Amino acid sequence: MLQEEVVGQVLAEALGRGGDLAEIFAEERSSTGLRLDDRRVEDVASGRETGAGIRVISGDRSSYAYTNLLTADALVEAARAARSGLDGPAGVVASDLRRTQGPSHPVRIPPQEVGAADKASVLVEADDAARAEGGSVRQVSASYSDLRQKVLIASSDGRIAHDDRTRVRFAVQVVALRNGEIATGFEAPGHSGGFELLAPGDPARLGASAARKALTMLDARPSPAGEFPVVLAPGSGGVLIHEACGHGLEADTLVKEASVYANRRDERFGSESVTIVDDGSDVGAWGSFGVDDEGTPAQRTVLFDRGVLVGHMSDLQSARKIGYPPTGNGRRQSYAHLPIVRMTNTYLLPGQDDPVAIFESVPRGVYAATFAGGEVNPATGNFVFGMSEAYMIEDGAVTYPIKGANLIGNGPRVLEVIDAVGSDFGRKEGVCGKDGQAAPVTNGMPTVLLGRVTVGGTEA
Amino acid sequence: LTDLLDLATAIVERATSGEDIEAYVTHERTFQVKAYSSEVESLASAEPRGAGARLIRDHRAGFAYTTDLTDSGLNAVVDRARDNSRHATSDEATSVAPAWSEEPPEISGLVDRSQSDVPADDKVAFVLELERATRAQDPRIRAVEEAVYSDSEAEVAIATSSGVAGSYRRTDAWCYALAIATEGDDTQIGFEFDLARGLAALDADDVARRSAHRALEILGASKIPSGRMSVVFEPYVSAQFLGVLGSALTGEAVQKGRSLFAGKVGTRVAGDGVHLVDDGRLEGAPGSAPWDGEGVPTSRTGVISNGVLDSFLYDTTSARREGRDSTGNASRASFKGVPHPSPTNLALAGTGESPDQIYEQAGKALLVQDFHGVHSGANAVSGDFSVGATGRLLQNGELGAAVKEVTIAAPMLEILKGIQAVGSDLRWLPFGGSFGGATTLIAEMTVAGL
Repeated sequence: MLQEEVVGQVLAEALGRGGDLAEIFAEERSSTGLRLDDRRVEDVASGRETGAGIRVISGDRSSYAYTNLLTADALVEAARAARSGLDGPAGVVASDLRRTQGPSHPVRIPPQEVGAADKASVLVEADDAARAEGGSVRQVSASYSDLRQKVLIASSDGRIAHDDRTRVRFAVQVVALRNGEIATGFEAPGHSGGFELLAPGDPARLGASAARKALTMLDARPSPAGEFPVVLAPGSGGVLIHEACGHGLEADTLVKEASVYANRRDERFGSESVTIVDDGSDVGAWGSFGVDDEGTPAQRTVLFDRGVLVGHMSDLQSARKIGYPPTGNGRRQSYAHLPIVRMTNTYLLPGQDDPVAIFESVPRGVYAATFAGGEVNPATGNFVFGMSEAYMIEDGAVTYPIKGANLIGNGPRVLEVIDAVGSDFGRKEGVCGKDGQAAPVTNGMPTVLLGRVTVGGTEA
Repeated sequence: LTDLLDLATAIVERATSGEDIEAYVTHERTFQVKAYSSEVESLASAEPRGAGARLIRDHRAGFAYTTDLTDSGLNAVVDRARDNSRHATSDEATSVAPAWSEEPPEISGLVDRSQSDVPADDKVAFVLELERATRAQDPRIRAVEEAVYSDSEAEVAIATSSGVAGSYRRTDAWCYALAIATEGDDTQIGFEFDLARGLAALDADDVARRSAHRALEILGASKIPSGRMSVVFEPYVSAQFLGVLGSALTGEAVQKGRSLFAGKVGTRVAGDGVHLVDDGRLEGAPGSAPWDGEGVPTSRTGVISNGVLDSFLYDTTSARREGRDSTGNASRASFKGVPHPSPTNLALAGTGESPDQIYEQAGKALLVQDFHGVHSGANAVSGDFSVGATGRLLQNGELGAAVKEVTIAAPMLEILKGIQAVGSDLRWLPFGGSFGGATTLIAEMTVAGL
């Protein structure tokens, strides 16, 4: 992508007026995407992008400039833009570049070797299977996308890293309609890997599953409102951990004391059964990579160890401020963005409880099977999550679907009310937004019982 | 740099006979500075440019984009769009925009001519002052998590094989502050922003005051008992509600069975006196442009008139499917995306009351100052709406206790039908589009708390 001589020249230019660290992030990105909607394959799209961003760090201040052109001249010009405002003596660029490397994520079937016709046919298979579930299936949309991103990251302290990332995602959404009632169902797996995400039969299985969810929710009754025990399904419930615990443990918010977890290391927040990790090295997971977007190798970071707060996630800048080594959580949407602290794959690890026994322990409560998403305020820990698939639990058994349910509460308090942690485990892939940047993330957890939490619904 | 319209035309000329093509090319200059704790935290500048090509052959559309604007890059993007078109389903409705009968009139006020001469130092000074002023509002403002100034100068060009060819420029500048207020054990965050065509029109003091006030006034907030009650949306909140509604008001959403408004044209969907208008030509509104993402001239569309659903919003393809004309609502996020219909500037017409009059009219009510979890709790397909809320209790026009950690819920059509007053305090909010918010009284919703 870039010659190492050019890298050295650009870094020297960037530090030409002083600064503590200069860094170049260069990428080549190619992507394809197809969408099926209303029985038509449309929005067949592909993109090619190149670009490089140059960052100069001076104390707590970062300056950034980027260009779409990877020529030496364009990069030098960007380096000059990034150093503007500085007027000190030139900084020193290390002459030997040390290569950093992280875990690799195998790509068995490279998406660029799969024809667009095959990518279109997985959409049609999902559509057909969804519609075969019954006449109440009113609409199906399905999308396929793949991305290959090759990055080079080098910095004036002598680090250089290459990463070659391939991600594939497939999504299907079904709308069902009966007697004026409308309901939706959704499936959206993804991974760091190739087209092997979709084995023969998978698209049809996912289409049928999304359709069955929508059809089930047609019979949903309005959700009750009030405080209830809530059972979280494996996988989907992980978004709660992501929002309620993860964001508050991103070191940029800790440094600013804008987190409810600031200055509370070694405090107990949950029972012995609550262990939470962020793991960008989980092989093949959607939120994984080799090195992060600052060249730090992906790693597994323990956030809560048996209920006690022990860790956080950081990028280079926040790690320096907080006084710990960086954890490999510096990510950026593209060369057009400054790296910020992001989660990767965030998991509440499996515990000892039998999932069936967890349901049997609930006299009256809510089973949150799928969350549509959520939102949290890191400073206060307050969160809200909407459930797109939920059921009542009565006398230990799941009885009927409910709609319009959401979960509202507070991050630290929700860890406190985790009363049981199942021995099973599931993952759900998603896209997390922060500061206007999108990042692929995975949420994972087993079946979990929250003893008492506020459920919002339409039945007062 | 080559003239942008020339680049768009050069792409169009690469189509061969039997092909329709649309080229969309953009060139921006962006700048952003963030302040934290009296210091500049980050500065970023960039000049992104790129082109998207949509090629239609045998009623099949393919799209490709590139940042390589050399001759070979333009050849490649057209070739890839052509390849992609082979895999789309044939669709008679697919089309590029028709030729202009006359050049769409300019929209005045899209460009602040002084903006390109504003030195970076002035922008840095502005954001440092915003940060300082926010902290200075009250001793309980412990910090400003982020104070940001950002701007963009953009040129957009479009050309089609049907003969559309044009370009326009716009400038935008915005700023925001996130104030953190702490009292005892309680911490709250207040977010406020300002948006204009240039730095000169941004008001740092006002943003500082409003963001601090938002954080301070919900300190000590608590849950309230569950029940049915009247609800008042602040402008900031009613704009978010319109944002959800807007996604269900396009012809495409209705045709594809993804709208709660399907089959409801000509029927009553809101109370008497409720008017909802989309206007892509409104001077001073952020979503205005002379033409839309396909090059169709923008227009004014009455969506709900006196409570009756009148029209949806269309791009060229969704309009042709119903044998009608586009309303000029094709939108594209950037050169990397294909156009799809969405609102331009969507707002409820005011019913004449001031916010204070609405507070009084509301009696005992919940004043909602912020929604939480809108993207998960609101479903524009089913019409379910159940979101978290913070705000204040209202009693006979007086603001009472602060409220947090409650959810408010009602089917979206019931909320629309429950609209009893829309205040005169219209404010445009850029929530994934441009939505006009005003203080709005809703007769009744379910509040879930204790």
